Amino acid sequence: MDLRHLANLSPVDYAVPGFVLLVLAEIIVARIRDRSRYESKDTLTSLALGLGSTIAGILTGGMFVAIALWVYQFRLFDIGYTWWAFALAFVLDDFGYYWVHRAGHRIRWAWAAHVIHHSSQHYNLSTALRQTWTGFFGATFILKLPLFLIGFPVPMVAFVGGINLIYQFWIHTEVIGRMPRWFEGVMNTPSHHRVHHATNPRYLDMNYAGVFIVWDKMFGTFTPELDEEKPRYGIVKNLGSFNLVWAAFHEWVGIAKDVWAAPTLRAKINYMIKPPGWSHDGSRETSESIKKLWEQREREKGAWNKPTSSSSGADRAAPPPRAGSAKTAAIR
Amino acid sequence: MNHDQIVQLVGSVVAILALAGVARMLKLGQSKIANEDDARRFAEEALVGFEGGRALVSGDGGAALVAGRGAIAVLKRHGAQVAVRRLVPPLRVREAIEGATIETGERLFGPVVLFGVTADQVHGLEAPLTLV
Repeated sequence: MDLRHLANLSPVDYAVPGFVLLVLAEIIVARIRDRSRYESKDTLTSLALGLGSTIAGILTGGMFVAIALWVYQFRLFDIGYTWWAFALAFVLDDFGYYWVHRAGHRIRWAWAAHVIHHSSQHYNLSTALRQTWTGFFGATFILKLPLFLIGFPVPMVAFVGGINLIYQFWIHTEVIGRMPRWFEGVMNTPSHHRVHHATNPRYLDMNYAGVFIVWDKMFGTFTPELDEEKPRYGIVKNLGSFNLVWAAFHEWVGIAKDVWAAPTLRAKINYMIKPPGWSHDGSRETSESIKKLWEQREREKGAWNKPTSSSSGADRAAPPPRAGSAKTAAIR
Repeated sequence: MNHDQIVQLVGSVVAILALAGVARMLKLGQSKIANEDDARRFAEEALVGFEGGRALVSGDGGAALVAGRGAIAVLKRHGAQVAVRRLVPPLRVREAIEGATIETGERLFGPVVLFGVTADQVHGLEAPLTLV
């Protein structure tokens, strides 16, 4: 097969019917196992946001290609359409994706574009399709430009990027528990990615991988899913609304308001480039402050439950277990 | 947009409506805040550092208020999940025949209605937090 021809295909277009059938299958599984996994308004919102993302992609894709082609003219090597080049491009593109994604969570400007993907409090295959409308303006694609500077052709990078996106579809599910150990060790999986979508302090801002989880392990952002701590999905301040436009633009509106009201130029810039939740007076919650407070609480709990003497197996002064603990009370 | 893109667009809209329709037809995602313990748990999970005390739960299980230290958590059912806000008392409360309505100050989050709960009960919940 002519690999140049292959690179000109859009793999995502071919995968869409499969996406639809798999969402349908997961809905049926949800009906049998756990009805709370899907909710019609949430599903409609996710899918409509996915459609909006496709339209936005058509409108802004040309600009991305133009920038990529401009960078490509300064390439260091002439890399042809060979199988090894595709394989190498796939791995390097996924490495680039890790940094794009990490920036998407740690720089508020980029988060404004990416937050839409995390705005559902559900975690199912329809969530995977809840994609950005403003990705081009988030500007994190600049982190992938070195691929073109190295000399990978633009259609080849677009093709492997499409394969990467398709891979990430199936990991947005609660239907699959854990994959075989060797697979969990190397690849991004539903378990690893559930952690990424969780708002539990322990899980916040972890597991940025696209296809290979090894990047998180290499750069210290990996944490495993614990059986005793079920992920709670969404964002720190959930929207409480199914409004499509609000889901797509709320963080941009937040940035605009903060920049307008900021007292100094430095604060104005920081409201755009610091991590989400940063504020000039420290009055808001960032993932760091949330984790710190949570760790402090956990330590206090540990101290409270610690035996008071070597003869006391359990602390008799400890409060009785609450009837509505996270493990016992389920939403009905 | 070319012909293929228009066909894709129309096909996508049909698929979206069909999938959401199936989810609705199968009655997925129905939920409620069952009791005060449930309300406290949701509040504490959503708001780091929040320690829930007394709670008021809407008669339909669609909303709740939970008193904490110096703040009140306002909960509302959002699809099959619960969305939470931390408000500082005094709350803005409107009384109607069906129950008390709490203004959250956010247009898109909207006001939260507690069916079968009176404004006096809400004031009673927040009273210990507003004592100087």
